[in-house]
Amino acid sequence: MESTENKKRHRKKSSKADIAFTVFNSIFMILFVIITLYPVLNTLAISLNDGTDALRGGIHLFPRKFTWKNYTTVLEKNNLITGAVITVARTVLGTLTALLANAILAFIVSRPRFMFRKQLSLFWVITMYVNGGLIPTFILFKGLGLTNSFWVYIIPGMLSAFNMLVIRTYMNGLPDSLVESAQLDGAGYTTIFIKIISPLCKPVYATVALFVAVGQWNSWFDAMLYNRMSGEYTTLQYELMKLLSSVTSTQGASAETMKNATGAVTPASVRAAATIITMLPIICIYPFLQKYFVTGLTLGGVKE
Amino acid sequence: MSGRRKKTKQVETEMKVKITWKEIKRQKVLLFWSAIIVIYGFIFYYLPLGGWIMAFQNYKPAKGLLHSEFIGFDKFIQLFSDETFIRVIRNTLAMGVINLVVTFVMAILFAILLNEIRQRRTKKVIQTISYLPHFLSWIIVTGILHDALSGTGVVNELLKNLHLTKHSVDFFAHPSYFWPIVAFANVWKETGWNAIIYLSAITAIDPSLYEAASIDGAGRLAKIMHVTLPGIKSTIIILLLMNVGNVLNAGFEIQYLLGNGLVKSVSETIDIYVLKWGISQGDYALGTAAGIFKSVVSIALIVVANQVAKRSGEERLY
Amino acid sequence: MRRKHIKTLMLTALMAATLVTGCGGGDSSGGGDGKKTSSGGDDGKGIKEFTAFFAVPGSEINDDNEIQQIIAEKTGVKVKETWLTGQTAEEAVGTIIAGGEYPDFIEGGSGNPQLLDAGALVALDDYIDKYPNIKEFFTEQEWDSIRQEDGHIYWIPQFSNIYGEEKACEHNDEAFWIQTRVLKWADYPEIKTMDQYFDLIEKYYEANPKMEDGTENIPYTILCEDWRYFCLENAPQFLDGYPNDGSCIVDPETVKVIDYNTTDTAVRYFKKLNEEYHKGIVDRESFTQTYDEYIAKLSSGRVLGMIDQWWDFAYTAGDAIKSAGLDKQGCSYVPLPITIDEGIKNQWHNSGGVINAGSGLAITTSCDDVEGALQFINDLLDQEIHDLRFWGVKDTDYQVNDKGEYSRTDEMRTRCAETAYKASHMCTYSYFPQWSGTSRDGINAMSPSGQASEFYDGLKDDVKECFDAYGAKTYVEMLGTSEAPGPWYPMWSYSNNFTTNTDGGMAWTKIGEVKHEYLPKVVMAKDFEKGWDEYMEAYKKCKPEDFLAELQTELDRRVTEAAKYK
Repeated sequence: MESTENKKRHRKKSSKADIAFTVFNSIFMILFVIITLYPVLNTLAISLNDGTDALRGGIHLFPRKFTWKNYTTVLEKNNLITGAVITVARTVLGTLTALLANAILAFIVSRPRFMFRKQLSLFWVITMYVNGGLIPTFILFKGLGLTNSFWVYIIPGMLSAFNMLVIRTYMNGLPDSLVESAQLDGAGYTTIFIKIISPLCKPVYATVALFVAVGQWNSWFDAMLYNRMSGEYTTLQYELMKLLSSVTSTQGASAETMKNATGAVTPASVRAAATIITMLPIICIYPFLQKYFVTGLTLGGVKE
Repeated sequence: MSGRRKKTKQVETEMKVKITWKEIKRQKVLLFWSAIIVIYGFIFYYLPLGGWIMAFQNYKPAKGLLHSEFIGFDKFIQLFSDETFIRVIRNTLAMGVINLVVTFVMAILFAILLNEIRQRRTKKVIQTISYLPHFLSWIIVTGILHDALSGTGVVNELLKNLHLTKHSVDFFAHPSYFWPIVAFANVWKETGWNAIIYLSAITAIDPSLYEAASIDGAGRLAKIMHVTLPGIKSTIIILLLMNVGNVLNAGFEIQYLLGNGLVKSVSETIDIYVLKWGISQGDYALGTAAGIFKSVVSIALIVVANQVAKRSGEERLY
Repeated sequence: MRRKHIKTLMLTALMAATLVTGCGGGDSSGGGDGKKTSSGGDDGKGIKEFTAFFAVPGSEINDDNEIQQIIAEKTGVKVKETWLTGQTAEEAVGTIIAGGEYPDFIEGGSGNPQLLDAGALVALDDYIDKYPNIKEFFTEQEWDSIRQEDGHIYWIPQFSNIYGEEKACEHNDEAFWIQTRVLKWADYPEIKTMDQYFDLIEKYYEANPKMEDGTENIPYTILCEDWRYFCLENAPQFLDGYPNDGSCIVDPETVKVIDYNTTDTAVRYFKKLNEEYHKGIVDRESFTQTYDEYIAKLSSGRVLGMIDQWWDFAYTAGDAIKSAGLDKQGCSYVPLPITIDEGIKNQWHNSGGVINAGSGLAITTSCDDVEGALQFINDLLDQEIHDLRFWGVKDTDYQVNDKGEYSRTDEMRTRCAETAYKASHMCTYSYFPQWSGTSRDGINAMSPSGQASEFYDGLKDDVKECFDAYGAKTYVEMLGTSEAPGPWYPMWSYSNNFTTNTDGGMAWTKIGEVKHEYLPKVVMAKDFEKGWDEYMEAYKKCKPEDFLAELQTELDRRVTEAAKYK
């Protein structure tokens, strides 16, 4: 792989157009990085600034009145450990099960010979655009025994049409020759899935795993809705949301409720600290997944 | 590239597999798993649709779905005779389409340009930075945007220094600026994140194609046009098809956070309307009716888009 | 494989059945997850644990909260509180009802009627007599005023109930506020009317366009983000000398509802704002600013005056001004008793408690120890526990002198305001019934904010100086107080529970929408008359008469009801 790239580098002729392109690209990327990095650095600066002082605004890249206090406030929060354990558990388990389930489904609907491929795809595509609503879903989950339970984080969201379609598209793009020759050797579908297709799908598996993992990591609504009263299944994000809700839940608020809720207002700096704390683990894990889809040309060895 | 073309052809011919006992036996593993998956999908996605009945009822949680009073199509009539709702549909569609086009183009552009960066470390670092705003909540992003666009914000300073304007532009007071601001906010927050999918699709492109193009004397731009873009075309089309069905889901949080009384006529979306007139009033029927309307429109759009894709021999959803 | 299928199918059928039958049976629905979360649970030390859900925003306290533990040891009860997160009250209550599983205590806010409909609440009237502190909480008339249509009492309003002599120092309500430096510059003049107020601001701004550090002053700003647009819209009722009825004004003589949106005073008020806007006195960003931006402006000390509710800015911007030392430049805010013309008695501040009959704390049918739950409410109203809730632990959070007077040192005051300390140490059980006014010892206030000495010590010098100049000791004295105008007050306890199910509720919601959109336009209009006419045209389309008619009906009902006790 390394050698392929080296070869390319040697062969590259720097025409004028190419140089112009490189210059344009560099400028674009620099601007892009500045614009996208700013909000993150700004959040970081606010999270390290005294809460009352931050209310005055005007903090950009550096804190004006430095303090760690916002972080200690967040980290001293109740149930944070329980929440973190549950969140890690749901992220790991949820990602593995979702990846497996979506891969199986994508594999099935990407088999050219499969007799219901169109119908099964349609069946799932529709699920993206219909929604029974909060209450019917709640009643269903309660009936299934998924309320006050850890499994509500894993089972209902296991399959999703979006992830399935992403994997399917990738699988469709793979050369058929490998599958065909394996079939000639008498390999069944299970073998083909495990031994032939899956190893080639690492980049898309990594992508979907990332999507699912981030979704699992960030979700709090399900914890709030289905496990509101069961402290043992709380999640990290729900605990953080509880800390922040008083500022964000402006919808439906009224003067009368807010009057009695005084003192329940969490400063924006605490909100910023909570955001940074949430982002950190993902930033740390990211490089491990990133190598699958940024390095590129992983299929270098495959030839038709 | 030739492999891909061959692929499409193959798909079409093999679609017409006849259902015979032999075939069933051959595909029994696939059929077994399909059955499980269908049952699962039915339970978790289709069964709750029983709740659509709420749109035709004066639903009271106390009475349940069976015993609530039946009101027929009242809520649909109420929705479509309200001129606000019609305006809200217009806003949702407009923002949905603008956001779709802009975020789509930017994500692809970003993925391709990033792929052109040769230094592996730089590439990784840029990519990591680019997706970070995805993790910021809308309240933080819109807060910063408000700051930047305020009378004393960086944008107005810039405009004044460049002598493009004498007085500060009040960006949030004019309805005409609202949609572009929303589109920009979406691009800002999600471009890097949306690009991930294209980056992974690019990895599947056979490097020998680039080599062949180089030998033919293609420059970098030509390689992008003739190798990279066609290589991720099927991914682009699938995502485009999916998102076409989502144009009515233009969101609610961002409009809610950026909007104000002066731009109300262009900022309110269907979701905000439902929240205001349905959910926060305990009117379940109205919210459900609007939801059904959105679903129907989405599915219709998908069917049309899929048909177009089929006609032009492209990748499609089903 | 077949067995698996059958099992799944059966499950599906079961599901379908539960889905259509709703949830009437509560725990009877399948699943067997009936994990009744610790209703009356026992943690082994003889401490009973109850659960509570409040459909309002609030902040959670830590599990090992110190005062909660002390209260638990004294009363044998601990309550795990959960607050509204990311949903509206209606929505949260709707799902809880659908699930049929309730916490022991609940405050549904605007969702309370839904809970009542669902038969989720326990009627409390039979029990109340057994609990002296609860019984004492309201008078017979007050208890009757919170009876529902079926004649039973289901929830207990928690707030604004005064024990003994009222001890209000803060004006925790709406007013025209002004910075002390403006008043000082003009040598503390009498400001009684809206015109005088704006004149003073104009003159001050002309003479002092900038602050000491060179930042430009903002003479007057208006917050009008979402529901906070009361800072723009409801002044006409106060300017005419009426109290905050919320949705209308009530003429005490004819006992008729008057629409404050269309009065002459309303026209004059908005016309004034329009003029001031074009003079550059009203902040150009008023109608586009967010709450955060507004607070940032106030915090920087640049804003000379505004209308707002005390709680909306004092705990954020007010604290920021203090911590930045801007009070030394006279940037603290004081309220002014302003009306439209001289000679009108203002009612910005009303004395006496206000019962919001529309919401309160209820006990649900899922609670298996109703008497224990009520005993706990009773205990919370005990003076000793009440002091623990609002003052904290003696010698840690407050000190007592020889005369029995409570006070806090600066250090205590700061610590009690910290978020982290509040979570780990303080436990006010803030949505359980509570008293304001004077403590049963006859010396202290029920909570620190009502303690005059405590209050005065906490004031900044510029405010003290200003109060002295006007011969006032508290914010309330700056405005003067009046009794509640009549038995109907406040009408908002009725209009808050309006839904679009009634014509009046529909009109009320539409009016809100129209005002939100048109009032900024009216203030900014080049031609005020034209802008006002357009607004009125849109306003009339909302059918305000429907809304007023419903208010009138309720007003009449309240008056008749009250007449029974004369």
